Amino acid sequence: MLLQIVASGLSSGSIYALVALALVITYKTTEVPNFAQGEMAMFSAFVAYVLIVDYNVGFVVAFGAAIVFAFLLGVGFEGLFLRRTKNPTHLNLIIMTLGFQLALFGLAGWRWGADQRQFPFPVSASEVVRFGDITVSTLSIATISIALALMAAVFAFFRFTKLGVAMQATQQDPMAARINGVPVRAVVALTFGISSVIGLVAALLTAPLITLDPTLMWDPLLKGFAGAVLGGMNTPVGAVLGGYLLGVVENLFGAYVSVEFKSAVAFLIIVIVLWFRPVGLFGRQPPRKV
Amino acid sequence: MSFFSVRSLSKRFGGLTALDDVSFEVEKGSILSVIGPNGSGKSTAFNCINGIYKPTAGTVHFEGEQISGLKSHRIARRGLARTFQNIELFANESTVDNLMLGRHQHMRTGLWRGMGMLGRTTRAAREEVENRARVEQVMETLDLTAVRDRPVQELPYGTQKRVELGRALAMDPKLLLVDEPSAGMSPEERADIGERLRSLRDDLGLTILLIEHHMQLAIDLADRVLALNFGKVIALGAPEEVRSHPEVIKAYLGDG
Amino acid sequence: MTLRELDHYADVQLLPGKAAVVKLVVLLAVLAVLPFVVPGYRIFTLNYMAIFVIVGLGMSILVGDTGQVSLGHAGFMAIGAYTSVLAMTELGAPFLIALPAAALVSAFFGFLLGLPALRLDGPYLAIATLGFGLAVTLIIGHGSLFGGHMGLVVPEASLGPLPLSGDISHYFLIVGITVVLAVAARNLGVTRVGRAFRAIRDSPIAAETMGVDVAYYKTLSFTVSAAFAGIAGSLLSLMNGFISPGVFSFTLSLMFLAMVVFGGLGSITGAVLGSLVMGYVNLRMDAVQEIPVLGPALQGFSDAFMSPSGLPNVGWVLTGLMIMLTIMFEPRGLYGVWLRVEDALRWLRRRSASGGTATGAG
Repeated sequence: MLLQIVASGLSSGSIYALVALALVITYKTTEVPNFAQGEMAMFSAFVAYVLIVDYNVGFVVAFGAAIVFAFLLGVGFEGLFLRRTKNPTHLNLIIMTLGFQLALFGLAGWRWGADQRQFPFPVSASEVVRFGDITVSTLSIATISIALALMAAVFAFFRFTKLGVAMQATQQDPMAARINGVPVRAVVALTFGISSVIGLVAALLTAPLITLDPTLMWDPLLKGFAGAVLGGMNTPVGAVLGGYLLGVVENLFGAYVSVEFKSAVAFLIIVIVLWFRPVGLFGRQPPRKV
Repeated sequence: MSFFSVRSLSKRFGGLTALDDVSFEVEKGSILSVIGPNGSGKSTAFNCINGIYKPTAGTVHFEGEQISGLKSHRIARRGLARTFQNIELFANESTVDNLMLGRHQHMRTGLWRGMGMLGRTTRAAREEVENRARVEQVMETLDLTAVRDRPVQELPYGTQKRVELGRALAMDPKLLLVDEPSAGMSPEERADIGERLRSLRDDLGLTILLIEHHMQLAIDLADRVLALNFGKVIALGAPEEVRSHPEVIKAYLGDG
Repeated sequence: MTLRELDHYADVQLLPGKAAVVKLVVLLAVLAVLPFVVPGYRIFTLNYMAIFVIVGLGMSILVGDTGQVSLGHAGFMAIGAYTSVLAMTELGAPFLIALPAAALVSAFFGFLLGLPALRLDGPYLAIATLGFGLAVTLIIGHGSLFGGHMGLVVPEASLGPLPLSGDISHYFLIVGITVVLAVAARNLGVTRVGRAFRAIRDSPIAAETMGVDVAYYKTLSFTVSAAFAGIAGSLLSLMNGFISPGVFSFTLSLMFLAMVVFGGLGSITGAVLGSLVMGYVNLRMDAVQEIPVLGPALQGFSDAFMSPSGLPNVGWVLTGLMIMLTIMFEPRGLYGVWLRVEDALRWLRRRSASGGTATGAG
């Protein structure tokens, strides 16, 4: 029974981990949490949906198109809006992301209404596979595998490609990076693009579980934030671990304490972590300069 | 008991030792110039003195009482004011309002009296008028009256430096820490600020700790000089002595 | 110059001079007469806008002055609303007691949220307040005491012997309180506490260096700001006749933030203007098609290209765009736009004056 709960916790945790990862890589570059993350992913997921349902495009092609859309959406937001902010204080940039979130939410609601739709995901949520005592849906397996594969790809990208290393350098010290010839502005825009794509994958993995509507990513975004805060907002690996940890803890809470208040776990974690150790379990405190 | 004393002050940041066993005393009504190459720990020392950093070791005493370990706002209330090397003005506020912050600890208007300030006779209003009068005086001595209502971020750099000084003076401090007052100034402006600091000591009896990169200004103003290098004291004494001290010369010119 | 003029009291005076007094009198007269001039069903709209102004004043203190972020202010409003209603239903308290109780309880929670806020900056604080707002909605939505999803019905209220029923009596109560709170907020801003708040926003280190107990004032800012939202919540419950958790959503918190940003952070006038606009937009989002000219055009566009029932979402799009455009181009918001208009008018006046004398008439 316990293993079962943990297993499903890993499945939901995969989604939280993806969202957390997406948040953290843009946070590291700009020190601004992208609150529009969720709606960007939601909107891109709708694009995929429209292609599949209205235009009869196959899932793979639609997925590819949605990735391109998500990427451009991220790059566009950063390059056209965020960068052009007159007085880019942290507060102002946070508010920018909130404004974008609201606008996207409204646009999605306007275009597609509040109707709840079934997202045609190729892997079913109802088919199950048995591993000894544990019963896992094929969707859960797909979720965990896809998430892990994507995260591995992202980490490999950061570690082993020239562009990825440039991005890491920009995150650590933009001034030094610029001096060393790194095109910082392009890198920041790219970071947003990649982050948006990661978010899209999270949205596509979430959609089959619940219905597709503009509020799709509200819960995952919050949980992603909680995971990132728990793990550490300036460490991608930490954030991912935080996401998984949250998934498991949340499920344990739901099974043994209360199902109704399951979501409260995320809030509690946020409050407790921010109170006792704001940098997160695996994060590090940046020094203050005067 | 001396007016102001620092004993064995040390500050470490992880593996980096910014200050190492620094000790010195300051007499009331005198100017102590603190000199040293970049990174020698001068601003760190100021930050430890006014409570922005907590010292790793050592103590700071002011008027016989220990102030090290206290929060900055408590240290301010003891009568210690400071300016910042990189100007930490309240950018969106006017000159007047910046200086009025200096009066914060001398005023008592709180939430309710502030909200209920309706009319000249209320306590809040009277306190405002009283303290504004003091601020006007300070602004006059620093030639800031003309820019009193301008947001300080619009002011030229030299003027901003004067506002920064004015803010500290508006606190009516007993001890003033000035961090690189002449940075970025022309020779005329530098001479001007030097004059002002000198008259603060001579006319108002203010005790001043002065970090100054411009060697001549530091020497001219000082009653005594403290030289730091790599966080350690390398010389302490009369201006000309310190200036010609071999360690000091070596620190500034390098070894070879 | 007389001695009076020399003392700079005009810096903080509410009504510096006869012109200001006249303006105030005119404003109060207009407000007093408005409910009798405007069609009956619009009075509710005015009340709603006034309530938004109350929250906006509180947000201005917290976000505009002290520079803290709150994404959870709907939570304080909810706390105020539910406290007020429960005080009346469970404790039998009259509205005269329920309203201050709402303010106090909200203030208390504001204080609680202010404590972690001491260690948190920018993004972390935003997330913490987000969590708080959602937690409030979650608890209210599931607790039986709070009536769950269905919410609670607000009992008949009266202010002493005067019954508080009908939009007009609500109007005078709400607008009256709004005016008082606006003056209070304005006064707070120009005195010692307000200056301390703004110092914290601009440079917490310098503020602390000058003797401002940053921890105390940050917490105070949250407390006061929450109290304002709590009062607004209590008044909202009165207006609506019932309350339910659905009202106090994250999007409402976003609206609250949007309105002070849009109005102009750091200015009471801006906060009031922004709140009036957003309050109106929020209430009338469902009736976009009624806007002259633009309404039917949007409706047509919507029917052709968008979802049939989705038109009210235009309100969100509009709000989001307003926020982004404000931050991108005129961070001082509506108030900044107003200042520019003033500058332009002054420039025109000067030009016409000098043009006249330089070139002569004709």
